[in-house]
Parts: sequence; structure tokens; C-alpha cells
Amino acid sequence: MPTLKIDGREITVKDGTRVIEAADALGIPIPRFCYHPGLPVAANCRMCLVETNRAPKPVPSCHDFCGDGMEVQTATEKVIEARRAVLEYILLNHPVDCPTCDQAGECDLQDQYFEYDHKPSRHAFRKAHKPKARAIGPRVVYDAERCINCTRCVRFCEDIAGAPQLRQIQRGEKAYIDVFPGTELDNPYSMCAADVCPVGALTVRDFRFKCRVWFMKGTQSVCGECSRGCSVRVDTYKNEVQRIVPRHNPNVNQYWACDAGRTAFHSFDEGRLEAARVRGRDTDFDQALDQFAHDLEEALGKGLTPAVILSPFMTCEDAFAAISLFKTKAPGAVYSIGGREDGEADEVLIRADRNPNRAGLKMILDSFGIETAPIKTLHEAAHPVVIAFGYEFEERNYAKMAVQAAQLSAVFASMDVIGDVETYAFPAVSPYETYGTWVNEFGVIQRVRPAVKAPEAAKQARRFIADLAERLGAPLGDASLVGIFGLMTEEIEEFKGLELDAVGPFGIKLWEDAADVEAETDAGGDEAEPEEAAKESGESNKTDSAEEA
Amino acid sequence: MGKLVDRPEPDVMIQSYLPEVWNGMKRVSKHFFANLLMKKGYVTIQYPEQKIDYAPRFRGNHRLMHREDGTVRCVACFLCSTACPADCISIVAGETDNRDVEKAPVKFEIDHLRCIFCGFCEEACPCDAIRLDSGEHRVPAFTRKDEMSGKEDLLSRGGPSISKQGGEFK
Repeated sequence: MPTLKIDGREITVKDGTRVIEAADALGIPIPRFCYHPGLPVAANCRMCLVETNRAPKPVPSCHDFCGDGMEVQTATEKVIEARRAVLEYILLNHPVDCPTCDQAGECDLQDQYFEYDHKPSRHAFRKAHKPKARAIGPRVVYDAERCINCTRCVRFCEDIAGAPQLRQIQRGEKAYIDVFPGTELDNPYSMCAADVCPVGALTVRDFRFKCRVWFMKGTQSVCGECSRGCSVRVDTYKNEVQRIVPRHNPNVNQYWACDAGRTAFHSFDEGRLEAARVRGRDTDFDQALDQFAHDLEEALGKGLTPAVILSPFMTCEDAFAAISLFKTKAPGAVYSIGGREDGEADEVLIRADRNPNRAGLKMILDSFGIETAPIKTLHEAAHPVVIAFGYEFEERNYAKMAVQAAQLSAVFASMDVIGDVETYAFPAVSPYETYGTWVNEFGVIQRVRPAVKAPEAAKQARRFIADLAERLGAPLGDASLVGIFGLMTEEIEEFKGLELDAVGPFGIKLWEDAADVEAETDAGGDEAEPEEAAKESGESNKTDSAEEA
Repeated sequence: MGKLVDRPEPDVMIQSYLPEVWNGMKRVSKHFFANLLMKKGYVTIQYPEQKIDYAPRFRGNHRLMHREDGTVRCVACFLCSTACPADCISIVAGETDNRDVEKAPVKFEIDHLRCIFCGFCEEACPCDAIRLDSGEHRVPAFTRKDEMSGKEDLLSRGGPSISKQGGEFK
């Protein structure tokens, strides 16, 4: 446990900590291009030079380990001059095409230039020309002139994505990054290679020229593509999702997210259910709900047992509200969990279960002591009353067959994929418009926040349940997020003592199990940066206070 | 801060009202007859037929400048719409065949109902693409739609720019 001094401030760190990590923990800024906390160290950009009492010349702080009694100076004249010179060299052949570059605004090179150099170029010769705007993969485009050859992307593909597809070609000013001949950068995490790029050399094709970064508003949310539930930031502009980028979370996804999850938002706006529908006719939401409540009451009066198909895209609160209502009004109800069919899992992040909250639903159902019926055989029982949530994500055929077999059916979904088989259809919010919590496969509870405003007709599931409950004469009481979460902490074992505001940017681990150990070895399991954590929780608190009443 | 001027207390002549009315009428009559008899020439101009030249720095209708090959200079960097205090510029960026710039506006629209002709956009423009130096006064329109200037409209007012783009050694 060495103790060292950085700019006169003392810190004790674990053995094998790099100087730059210690400085980050203290909140002392050190500029960097090639160093990334989630990647192995290369120390080739030389931007993070610092002076120490161990060496006569400035040393790269990303490569130097902390030693006992070390004294580090990060802002001496010598260091600043060294960084300025390094930056001038890096910028020598840079095309300075910031107006057309998608990275402008979040570019490390731009920031450091304003911080350290801030002078016009002294380079009076023709700049080196290299390939521009080359699509090196189906989702990534490469610009060799902007590239500073930090090799972050190379290291990412090799060590994190497990697909060594990129290489540095040539030397000196001719050096650039390329794929091997006849191959392309097509691993399932290729967009993260564009993320780690500190400049605009690798950019995402999906986001190319769509929006300037400074216009966008970021919302901290969770990816719903698989049951890992990666922490993401949803960037929106003018009430439209522009892109999704991974957010650092040591409990779940480290710094990464898969391409499928990051492009999934395109499908959520297609074919939305515009208004409530009764037997194929568009109707006012409240009117339709009145009719449905009346029909349901009548059916329950006849002693018919409803089948409730829950969606693993529902938040815990929505599912809890639904189960509480049907438990009181229809004790004999049959429950089933729909959701998308399993896909292929990989060793990095992607899990086989392609639904974000199956673990949360199971936890809630267990706490009520409810056994679920398998969705695949639900239609065989021909339940006369079927209430399906989030139908769009379900194994469409099975859920559809169950709905078709019923005399009275209600579907609460954001997308209109059902045709006219149902009696009642109610528009719901999409996962990018919802408030609530999701529990991932490893028991980490995280908060889902709305990035965009929902269409006027669409409702959050727990509001729909609350309205239905009122009409059925069994009011839920406080149907707000905080209210239902409060009820959950009383009823459910795993939630005991939990507070909604305590669920920070990293989420909270609800249980430890064998899969945890596996997950940790998968993702490398490194430590959270305290500074970043504090910043992120500060941001999230801001959005929390403005949350629904 | 402007200069403070002491206001003199009105004296008896001013307070008695009628002499000042007489003074005023005298001045108006002087101008009237001077104009009528054209001793010094008209003070006013014959507006629709005759027009005053605007100063070179006058900010009139926007225009978009051309490259040598006639394509738009704008690279859709959004700096003008970022600088715009009235939020009147809406741009949609897209790819272009010109591999040197890659990016060009697919749509470039200025809402003249919102524009306050402050000139921040031309100041922010890194490509000398948008200018307000057309010297034309904005002509009012009958519908809101006519107050929107599209890319073609703005380009038709533009001309070639002699400023160099992308540095000297391109």
C-alpha cells in the first residue's frame, strides 16, 4: 500500500495502481488520449506526462506505478511545455475538419488544444493525406487523417471484444488503423471501438451527421436488449432518441454495451398504437377502460378466471401493481411471463435471455407465492379472459393464440402488431418513455428513466392498472413510482430497507449468487472511479427531483 | 453611460405657452416654404422611384455562398444555428459527393419571422457560407410559409466566395 504525494496532496493506494488512477481518485486532471480505465495501458500518446522525484525527465503517468514516498507534480512549467509540444506534434497532420466531424464537442483533441496549445499551426508544408470516410465495418466509419494512432480501438477489439480485427498499419506520419484484408470491423461491440476513440477517427455510422453533440440531452437509463441490462445514456434532441451510449457501471457492464442494444431504439417508434381500440374501432382511452372494466367485472362475476400475461419489459412497479390488483379481484388468475425468445449468449456482455426484467418479475411473483404457467402452452388451456401486457415483445404466436382463444381479451402495448384479434387494445409507453426499475439477471436493480415524452394517448402500465382498479372498486392507493416502490419494500424480501433515491447510477445488488462470480471474471471487474461516480449521481439526482408526482 | 444633461428650468416665455407655439409654427413654415420653393432641394426622397443606398454593413436577406463548382459552401456544421439567439435556422445534414468535405446540408431553412438579423450566424460561420450582405431589405409576405427561406432560395441570392476553405495547402 504505497503512499504518495500528487501536487502536495497525499493519497494511499493499492499496489499496482498507476499514477494517473491515483490522480483521478484525487480529482486532479491529467490529460490523456491513449489511456482508458477499461483497457490495457499502451502509453503511446505521451499526453499524460508528469514530473516525479524518481526520474530526471517527465514520465507518462498512465504507465508509471505508484511507489511509496513518490512525489508527483502534474502542473509544473516543464510538464505543461512538454504536453504542449506533444500536442503540437499530434496535431501536425490533423486535418482540423471539426465542422464536419461528428466528434466535435466531445473531442479530447479539441479540449486539450484549447487547454494547452491554443496557437495556430507552425507546420508550413503539405499535410499528409490518408484515407477519409472509409466504412471499415457495417456500423463504424474510419477517417485516417483524424486518427492520432492511440490504438485504443485496437486494444478494445483485442482485449474486450475478443475479436482482434484492427491493426496499426505503416509507421510515422503514414501510420493508420485498418482491418485485415478481406475482413471488416463487424464484431458485436464495434460501436464501442468508436466510443473509445478520443478523436473523430472512428465514428458511428448510425449517428453520422444526425445531430451535433452539444444539442443533445442525456438521460441515464438502462438498455433493454438482454437481461444484462447495461447502463446506458440515452441522448435525445427535439424529443427524438438520437443515439445510445454505454455508461460506466462496475456492477453491470463496465464501460461497454453491444451494438444491438445501441441500435435497438429504431424499432421502438415504428407502428405505435395510436389510440385505445375497442373491437377494432378507435375509442377514447377512458371510455374504452370504462367498457373493459364493466366487461371484466361481469366475467369475474360469472366465475371466469383470467390469464394475465406479464411482459418482462414491464418495470417492477408496473408488475407489482398488476399482480396486486388481480390478486385481490381475481384470486384464481393464471400468470405467465411472455417476452422475446432466447438468443445466443456470448462471453462478453450479451445474455441469452433477451428481456431486461425477467428476474424482477420472478422475484415479485415468488414473493406473492405465484407459480407461472409456461407461455408456450397457455393457449391450449383456452382461458376465456386474457389480459396481456407489452404484447409487442412477446413470443407473438403463443401470446396471440392465447388472445385469440379468449372471449374477452385486453392488450396493453406500445406497438400495434396485434391485428384485430383482441377485444380491447390500450396504448402503452415504450421503454424509452417509462419511469421505474429493472432487475437484471445478476440481481442488480437499476432505474429506467424516460428520455423522450410519450405520445399523449400512451399510458404507463401502473397508471392504467390504477385507473382500472378504481373502476373495479379496489383502488390501489398511491400509484406513483415512489408509492408503489414503498409498497414493494414492505412486501418483497429482497427489497426490504431499500430506498428509491438510494438506487444510484451504478444500481444496487440485491443478491449474490454463483452467476456473479462468473460475471465478474467476464468483464474484468475493475474499480469505480469515485470522481465519476459522484458526478453521475449528482446528475441523476437532478432528474429525480423533477420526477412524476 | 451616456452624458447627463441638465435640463434648464422653463422661464416665463416658455411657461406662457403662446410664444413657443408661434416659434414652432415659424420653423415648420420655414421648412414648408423652403421645400416648396426648392431653394435648398427636398429633404425627403421620392421613395418608390428613388431609393437610398444602404451602408455596406447593412444586414439584409440571408444568402448562401457557392463553391467554384456552384455547390453550396455550407458543410452543415450547425454553428450558425448554435449561435442563433432566435433559433431560426433549421438544418438537416447529409452526405455529399465532394469527398473533401463529406457533409452538406440537405435542408437549410431560415424562418424570417423569428430572425432578428443580428448577424451572429455569419460571424459564427467557419466556411463563409452564410452571409447577410445581400443588401436587400426583407420583403413582407402574406403567409407564414412565404417567410421561410429554403436552401434553393438562399443559394439563388448567393455568389462565389473568394475565401479559402480548409487551409491554404489543401
